[in-house]
Amino acid sequence: MEVGDFVEGGEVLIDMDQYLSSGVHIGTRQKTGAMVPFIYRARPDGLYVLDVRKTDERVRLAGKFLAKFEPERVLVVSARQYGQRPATKFGEVTRAVVMPGRFIPGTLTNPSYKGYMEPSVLTVTDPIADEQPLREAAEVGIPIVGLCDTDNETADIDLVIPTNNKGRKALALVYWLLARQVLRERGELAPDQEFGVSVEEFETKPER
Amino acid sequence: MASVCNSCNRAIASDDRAVKFPCPSCGAVEIWRCAKCKRLSNPYRCPSCGFTGP
Repeated sequence: MEVGDFVEGGEVLIDMDQYLSSGVHIGTRQKTGAMVPFIYRARPDGLYVLDVRKTDERVRLAGKFLAKFEPERVLVVSARQYGQRPATKFGEVTRAVVMPGRFIPGTLTNPSYKGYMEPSVLTVTDPIADEQPLREAAEVGIPIVGLCDTDNETADIDLVIPTNNKGRKALALVYWLLARQVLRERGELAPDQEFGVSVEEFETKPER
Repeated sequence: MASVCNSCNRAIASDDRAVKFPCPSCGAVEIWRCAKCKRLSNPYRCPSCGFTGP
């Protein structure tokens, strides 16, 4: 299967095998009611598996959605270590503002703080780990895009991207797809044009 | 005219920490979500294209 191939239910952004080999569909042993619509099945070992087609659809929508905002007004946060490199690379490619690592409380709510900012949209890598920016964004009333796994609650999130948000490769692939989609929606990358950045560049390198 | 929450269809108070954003699917309509519906993750529906979120 190649890029843009027609599969049952529509076209997918990349080869379905690449989605599966990156483990984007791998969920957790917990599920929340909010994530049930995105769960494909439960494996015999108790692991919930996400519907990759819905992930694909939501990445498209999120790309379209984020492209509507000025690049400098898009904030991406990732407290999770495996999400920091993909988020940073996403920021480099799309010119979004990225806050990897610890989010200083008050960044969105305290104008006296020197690092205070007023983004128009927030993207969180994990609603549990990124609880502080999530809460602050909800307080100031900006839309929130969230990468949610099967065990995440979707409180305060306005657009869910169902994906494995714990895997190194899964996070790299999702952020890579999202970056490419944002550029395509902005018209900076033609639909058939090759994206000059590889998925590997989005990956956090494992420590030796 | 007061804005109406796309989830509960109630008018949004001016002091409500509501959020508005263009529909992620069609972008033609502004979706409003009141703070309560947002916190409870109540689904919203775009009146133009029928997209249901979050």
